[in-house]
Amino acid sequence: MSRIEQFQYDNRIVRAFGMAAFIWGLVGMLVGLILAFELIYPSLNLSQLGIPYLSFGRLRPLHTNAVIFAFVGNGIFMGVYYSLQRLLKARMLSDTLSWIHFWSWQVVILCAALTLPLGITTSSEYAELAWPIDLLITVVWVIFGINMFGTIIKRRESHLYVAIWFYIATWITVAVLHIVRSAELPYSLLGSYPVFAGVQDALVQWWYGHNAVAFFLTTPYLGIMYYFLPKAANRPVYSYKLSIIHFWALIFIYIWAGPHHLLYSSLPDWVQSLGTVFSIMLIAPSWGGMLNGLLTLRGAWDRVRQDPVLKFMVVAVTAYGMATFEGPMLSIKSVNAISHFTDWTIAHVHVGALGWNGFLTFGVLYWLWPRMYRTQLYSVKLANMHFWIGTLGILFYAIPMYWAGWTQSLMWKEFTPEGTLAWGNFLDTVTQIIPMYAMRAFGGTLFFVGTCIGVYNLSKTASNGSFLGNESAEAPAREPKIAAVAGEYWHKWIERRPIQMLLWSAILISIGGIVQIVPMVFIESQVPAISTVKPYTPLELAGRDIYIREGCVGCHSQLVRPFRDETVRYGEYSKSGEYIFDRPFLWGSKRTGPDLQREGGKNLDRWHYDHMIDPRVTSPGSIMPQYPFLADNELDLSMLPAKINALRQLGTPYPKGYEDRAIADAQEQAQQIASRLKEQGIQDEGIANTEMMAIIAYLQRLGTDIKVKE
Amino acid sequence: MKFAKYFFIFLLLSLSSAVWGQSVEAQAGQGADELLPNIMLYVLGIAAAVLFIVAMIFVVKVNQFLYKRVLDLEAGKSGVQLPQEAEARQVEADSFLTSLRKKYWEDAVPIEREHEILSHHDFDGIRELDNSLPPWWLNLFILTVIWAGLYMYYYHWGGNGPSSAQEYEIAVERAEKEQAIALAGMGQQVDESNVEVLTESADLSEGELIFKNLCAACHGQSGEGTVGPNMTDEYWLHGGGIKNIFKTVKYGVPEKGMISWQSQLTPKDIQKVSSYILTLQGTNPPNGKDPQGEIWVEPVAADSTAAPEAAPEIQ
Repeated sequence: MSRIEQFQYDNRIVRAFGMAAFIWGLVGMLVGLILAFELIYPSLNLSQLGIPYLSFGRLRPLHTNAVIFAFVGNGIFMGVYYSLQRLLKARMLSDTLSWIHFWSWQVVILCAALTLPLGITTSSEYAELAWPIDLLITVVWVIFGINMFGTIIKRRESHLYVAIWFYIATWITVAVLHIVRSAELPYSLLGSYPVFAGVQDALVQWWYGHNAVAFFLTTPYLGIMYYFLPKAANRPVYSYKLSIIHFWALIFIYIWAGPHHLLYSSLPDWVQSLGTVFSIMLIAPSWGGMLNGLLTLRGAWDRVRQDPVLKFMVVAVTAYGMATFEGPMLSIKSVNAISHFTDWTIAHVHVGALGWNGFLTFGVLYWLWPRMYRTQLYSVKLANMHFWIGTLGILFYAIPMYWAGWTQSLMWKEFTPEGTLAWGNFLDTVTQIIPMYAMRAFGGTLFFVGTCIGVYNLSKTASNGSFLGNESAEAPAREPKIAAVAGEYWHKWIERRPIQMLLWSAILISIGGIVQIVPMVFIESQVPAISTVKPYTPLELAGRDIYIREGCVGCHSQLVRPFRDETVRYGEYSKSGEYIFDRPFLWGSKRTGPDLQREGGKNLDRWHYDHMIDPRVTSPGSIMPQYPFLADNELDLSMLPAKINALRQLGTPYPKGYEDRAIADAQEQAQQIASRLKEQGIQDEGIANTEMMAIIAYLQRLGTDIKVKE
Repeated sequence: MKFAKYFFIFLLLSLSSAVWGQSVEAQAGQGADELLPNIMLYVLGIAAAVLFIVAMIFVVKVNQFLYKRVLDLEAGKSGVQLPQEAEARQVEADSFLTSLRKKYWEDAVPIEREHEILSHHDFDGIRELDNSLPPWWLNLFILTVIWAGLYMYYYHWGGNGPSSAQEYEIAVERAEKEQAIALAGMGQQVDESNVEVLTESADLSEGELIFKNLCAACHGQSGEGTVGPNMTDEYWLHGGGIKNIFKTVKYGVPEKGMISWQSQLTPKDIQKVSSYILTLQGTNPPNGKDPQGEIWVEPVAADSTAAPEAAPEIQ
């Protein structure tokens, strides 16, 4: 009836994103490998030579950002740009927008790769980037949105396929998450403080962090799976009904589960419990995706044995199923009591990242490249080799990390019959698991080698074929108005209406966040005040920002949980009222080193000085990087007035005009510390003007507000 | 498949009890030796249940296969044409077990009949089947939702479950009782009022190990003093003699940076390291820190121990 239209699909942009995914994937994995080896050989940090850029604390956020936003991010755009055009029977809205999207995203990644090693970070996990980069990300995301929705509007296909539901939900949710998490007040060109403080900041952070996993690592990849897996297997999708139910249930429930990162913290119990129960309810909706993937392969299992693409996809979907079962289990409080702050979490996220995201990306790349280059895969043998080395890599990574997590947790919690800690020296629990760290590094190396084989195989494939930049296609023009067919499934209605799809997704993903965050921010009784808790002095503030710059939070938590072993080891468990001036909160999510919430007053200034210069002097066997440059770097106090002003604007009760006294105040406190150090035997002249004073001031302040003075 | 169904229910039950373990374990104390094995037991139970299900499915499949082979063979012998399986199924009403299975476990349309539920429309060549939701999946979903309601009721709306803070108090109370019982069983405990100098070389070398690991960071490898005071001279800031040293190690002097070690070292360990410290008297190591505090003279009293005399003997 309607006219057949000729058009062309844009393959160039798909290739660009695919290559970017591969290249950044290699970079992200390499940084991960360096980190893994730094934990075994602390001298690899190079910070003892005065080079601060490659220390564990600064590189860790680079690794996570590179893998999430560079590797998986480009993977998402590759998959979306390929499948969206074909599922809608339309070229992308605008080639110009596509390329602006591509290049601006690479600029974001480059900015991250430059700023994070320089120590420019907000310290909020997966949202570490400075505020100007946040703005650029917003622009990129809007461009992506215009390009995607423009293509949807001009589509020739009347109904939207399930993959596109996932893309739409991804787009709107990531937008909301990014805007709320990046709400911050700049005090300089690159520095800012978040509008939320303490326990509220923690809640917003893990609402964001958890859903970055959900809506950046999961939903877009489910969309990609829904296109590429049936294509590669040449089988119909198992159940349309299952797609519908698991899609809507998944996006609604996922958003509630964030507080499971904060179990047994000083977040009110009711929010913690919501995190637990919604995580448990998430098992079935998550598994819906896995089932629809695996059951689509019914009747194609014989081909899984031969086709490396399907092999990668099967392991990816299985890893997804395991990780989404394990996640809810880790959200049960009694399990979390063991797992949290240990390497169990590291094992868990790498099953997801290496298995689900990594292997699905590889599967899609191995499927796409021969098609776009109109040739055969260069070597099926090499692809199989990649598959097996990668799988072994995942096993060698995950198993030692599970072992390390359990071992360390058991040691932390063990008491002697007399009631003392069996492993009172935290260091014993670290040195115990170094062999597991070494095995993990081996597993990571395997995975990295596999990826290199993949790059070689695909570049050979490319050079054997000829690239088809514009793929011709034809389809009938879309009818302007499609009437509902009698007896059609109810869900078809919304599949014809992308705007309604967007709106309903937006409503569903807003509910969980609103119910949890709004009461925490606006009802005062949720955070009981403690009268002795005072704002940081200017020098402590400067020290805190150095603590953030060096990424100390990557290995040291500041949260004593209400467990007997923790109160005996560290002191009184943390109360939410203690954190009201913490912008950002620094609870951390991993204890490679001990908790520091009660560090103030535990050790002499001189001890901290020696420990920073070389941790192995005070703590033999420690794997912490050395920070001798703190005693050389001149302390820059010039930002203090701006910082004080920004914090006062956000609600910290610094008196009026305090910003004018801040620098003098800081110098005075630094002088006091310097003279104390002199008493304790550090005769270094000029030490009063170094960063060391600030970091010692901050560490000695930690947790002292509620300490009972004897 | 009937087995599979029951074992799935068993699996879910064991799962939910693992989940309920929160309150139980919290009350059972924080001892890691209690916490983990319980959970490991559940994990093992679940793993065993899964293995059992897999084994059962395998047995049933093998049975089906063999039965079909036998039928085929018999038919071949007697020359009877067997009806095609698919047709036969269409005609026959579901048996009781099959209908149970379809209701609670799985209800997929067989591949050979999937054309009946295949969507007419395709998206870039992808077509969709209209299989119903896997019943076990749906049941799992419903169970988790019910569990969520029960959990919120138990811990919040009903107000029966302990809060995190209460769990902590319960755990500490319990541990204190256990500790008291354990200490009672060990007889007289060493403390600052009754501590005596140890002279056995095994005790002293253990004390030396503790000193090198924990104390040397501030007091030097040979006790010469760095951040902390010199341990080898006769001057003491908080009193010399075994009882004072024991007390200083045990409770610390927080305002001066001396850590309290009572949560990390047992009283016996503190006694060992204190005794070792006394052996350092007068060793005069290189780089010795200047004296701090006052010269300690052991008060002559009836119950005075042999400590001051013992130390010089050892050096």
